[in-house]
Amino acid sequence: MASMELASFPILSTILLSTIVALLVIMLIPEDRPKLVKQVSLGFAALGVVLSLLVYVSYDVDKGGLQFVERFLWVQSIGIYWFTAVDGINAPMLILTAVVLFTGVLTMWELETRVKEFFALMYLLVAGVYGVFMSMDLFWIFVWYDVSLFPMYPLIAIWGGTRKEYGAMKLTLYLLAGSALILPGILYVWAVGGGHTFDLFELQRMGLPAHVQRIAFIMLYLGFGILAGVWPFHTWSPVGHVAAPTAVSMIHAGVLMKLGAYGILRVGMTLCPEGLGYWADLMALLATIGIVYGAFVGLAQTDLKYVIGYSSVSHMGIVGLGLATMTVDGINGAVFQMFSHGVMTALFFSAVGYIYDRTHTKMIPELGGLSNTMPVASAFFIIAAFCGVGVPCMSSFWAELLVFISAVKTYPVRGVLAVISLVVSALFMLRVVQKTFYGPRNERWEHIPDVPLALATPRIILVGILVFFGLFPRLILDVIQSAVVPFVSSL
Amino acid sequence: MMKWVLFSPELYYVVMAAVFFFMSLERQAEPRKLYKWAVILSGVGVLATVLGARLQGTLFFDAYRIDLFSQVFKILIAIGTFWVMLVCSELKGVDERRHAEFYFLMTICTLAMMMLVSAVELLTIYITLELSSYSLFLLVPMRKHDGEYAETGIKYFMIGATASAMMLFGLSYLYGVTHTTYVAEVVKALPRVFNQPAAVLGLVLALAGFLFKQALFPFHIWAPDVYQGSTNQVAAYIATGSKMAAAAMVIRFIGFGNADSGYFVQLLMVLSVLSMTFGNLVAIIQKDIKRLLAYSSIAHAGYMLIGILTMTEQGYASAIYYALAYLIMNFACFMVIIKVADDGHNLQIKELAGLHKRSPLLAMTLMLGLFGLAGIPPTVGFTGKFLVFAAALKKGYLILVIIGMVNATLSLYYYLIVIKAAYLLKPVREYLPVRVDGVTRSLSIALVVLMICVGIFPDRFMQLTEAAAAALLM
Repeated sequence: MASMELASFPILSTILLSTIVALLVIMLIPEDRPKLVKQVSLGFAALGVVLSLLVYVSYDVDKGGLQFVERFLWVQSIGIYWFTAVDGINAPMLILTAVVLFTGVLTMWELETRVKEFFALMYLLVAGVYGVFMSMDLFWIFVWYDVSLFPMYPLIAIWGGTRKEYGAMKLTLYLLAGSALILPGILYVWAVGGGHTFDLFELQRMGLPAHVQRIAFIMLYLGFGILAGVWPFHTWSPVGHVAAPTAVSMIHAGVLMKLGAYGILRVGMTLCPEGLGYWADLMALLATIGIVYGAFVGLAQTDLKYVIGYSSVSHMGIVGLGLATMTVDGINGAVFQMFSHGVMTALFFSAVGYIYDRTHTKMIPELGGLSNTMPVASAFFIIAAFCGVGVPCMSSFWAELLVFISAVKTYPVRGVLAVISLVVSALFMLRVVQKTFYGPRNERWEHIPDVPLALATPRIILVGILVFFGLFPRLILDVIQSAVVPFVSSL
Repeated sequence: MMKWVLFSPELYYVVMAAVFFFMSLERQAEPRKLYKWAVILSGVGVLATVLGARLQGTLFFDAYRIDLFSQVFKILIAIGTFWVMLVCSELKGVDERRHAEFYFLMTICTLAMMMLVSAVELLTIYITLELSSYSLFLLVPMRKHDGEYAETGIKYFMIGATASAMMLFGLSYLYGVTHTTYVAEVVKALPRVFNQPAAVLGLVLALAGFLFKQALFPFHIWAPDVYQGSTNQVAAYIATGSKMAAAAMVIRFIGFGNADSGYFVQLLMVLSVLSMTFGNLVAIIQKDIKRLLAYSSIAHAGYMLIGILTMTEQGYASAIYYALAYLIMNFACFMVIIKVADDGHNLQIKELAGLHKRSPLLAMTLMLGLFGLAGIPPTVGFTGKFLVFAAALKKGYLILVIIGMVNATLSLYYYLIVIKAAYLLKPVREYLPVRVDGVTRSLSIALVVLMICVGIFPDRFMQLTEAAAAALLM
């Protein structure tokens, strides 16, 4: 059997290693061959897509549990293991990462300044992201988490746009302040667990005392929550997104913010189920405020990227709400929402990136009537907007549906508030779409050509994924569910 | 006769010092020649200490102890000295006529610090500490344009003399209450007399001498001025080699005590928190990069103290690992400073502008070094912090660790400012391209590899540091 052979091949480490090899190869390419840098980047990104799809397809849903496990001792005295594995929760995340990287590289095809450094840093970032998603050892989760954060600083500060240095500094300090809570949290759990293993599941089996769980959970929740854009720690996110160059926004909003939610789920909720029970109320509250707040603040924005930034806050709130319900449907929906929001935001930023590159503005009042001159480019944005408001046939429809159903059951008032704010977010998305793409033609943009096929490819891929999983949600929900059902029963 | 083998690494440095002493008698020694000799001799010195790593025993009526702990630190000191000698190729900060004396004093200082890490008797400790201090008192004002920097030399001397006076005073109290000068016996006797104020006062004052060397708050005031006022190479030496000796001494002294008495630990905790917070906050406003590193060194002394104050074997091991990490990272930063300011002036942060164009390799070394100091993985600095904090949490010091991590985030701000200068700022005026010779290139690559590999594959080094910590407690 093919899957049998695959099981013995260290495919996860290969994915991770391929990004580091890509990084080294890119660094060795001479400065004056930017074309080659891009080709190499694209090649390795494609390799990542193929490998992560392979993992996803050959993941045995009926068997469930951890598969493709690689586990060996790394540091003996304090019990660090190299432990990578895939289950139903991180399998979709690996695909998400691979796809967003691939489309991100394509989106940045026209980059001209300091090309080599850009792609090298991007690979460093992605190495961190892959690492977090596949590691099951607390030490490595933290290491990769930080590795994925610090390249953001140069990526935004060098290639960014609006207020880039401010945005970069704010983002970096916020996120690392988050890890200043995560590290003590992780070490605390480790120390209470006897101090001889960082293996996530061994610690889970130990079952920590309730008071430890409460302290550890709130530290882990807030620490990871900063990256997940949990209100009131979200303020770095719109600023950072606006400042970042297109591909970085894509990876950042599309994948990196998911690391936060994933961390809450994988580390916080797995290790501290009782802590979760204790703090779930607060989680749901903050998530709901995030959903409502993001929608209303988004209503007032005039910068396209800010609009997306605040919609991200709102959407990540939905993920948080789903997690806080502690039900199978809620967590299913949350994980699915992580995936579809990732793809959707990548599409959003990618679409805005094209518009901005051509018009050099992303202010809504200055744009207008774009659908006349560039119908295809406009279509990408509009599709993403539909997905954002949860129109049926789009993948986020299912995700949001699942979350809202279980949220209304568990937290009736907050659930209803969240559903209502969805209407507000529909309002602000439609307003943006109307003002930017319809309405009177703007002569300034008459001469701008529509997206050429080469540049449209990444966006088409993203749209394809959104619609595909919108039509066949079971293809992904079955996988997610295989991990969530045993997880919820263990809570 | 066999006993002298135990002393062989130190004897080697005595010989080395003699070589430079005779060279200094020459009317005009050629700087290139001196540099070559310094590199070769200190390189062999590293070998000598490595060969002596497994030695064990006591000398001089048990006043001098050779164990894995002391030998590991001797290797670290030797490596630090060797690296500093390597970057002395453009020793523009020191008058050419005094180069031989410069190397002579460096060697003497190294020798003294090596003896310091082995000393286990109060008077031996004091004498070796003073020997190393006095060589530094001479090295610091050796800089050209003495007028401008003479103040530094005097300041350092005055504060240093005060610290050693305090220490001597404390030692005399310790002797008074315990009737012995052997540290091991002092420590054994201490719990009995700990209720006497004289004992506590004696211990605290004695520690002050070491903490002064380590530049821990509130004994830090000399550090920024001395870093700024001394030649770049000497500053690098103080920040690396000298720091190792100080760390070793603090670990040894507290480790011997192993007196897990509440007040003492609390005192150390307060010192550690103050040191971290003060160092990091003041570093934020610095314009001169050496001053910035001086304040960051104050903060790092605080982090290291977290590992030490746990008073567990794991804690000492983590502090030793941290010292190793600090040596590598800090030297990486200083090497870049020395190379960029190769005429020996004090480098301002803004002068680093465009370094990534002028020398990509040095820029990368600097970036990794600074990220390491900030504790960002996958560098050695992260692993060091991780181990120190792990040891502290094992004792349940959760709040202390959170304060430590918040401080690490604070520190990231000013490290990022330096990195921003190197990678983002456009130079305001045309700077000369940085000359990177073969030695510097291989040293940079070696440092980069070390910073990452020791960080990612810490297993070997941790076994070593744990064995050293075990030897300490034996």
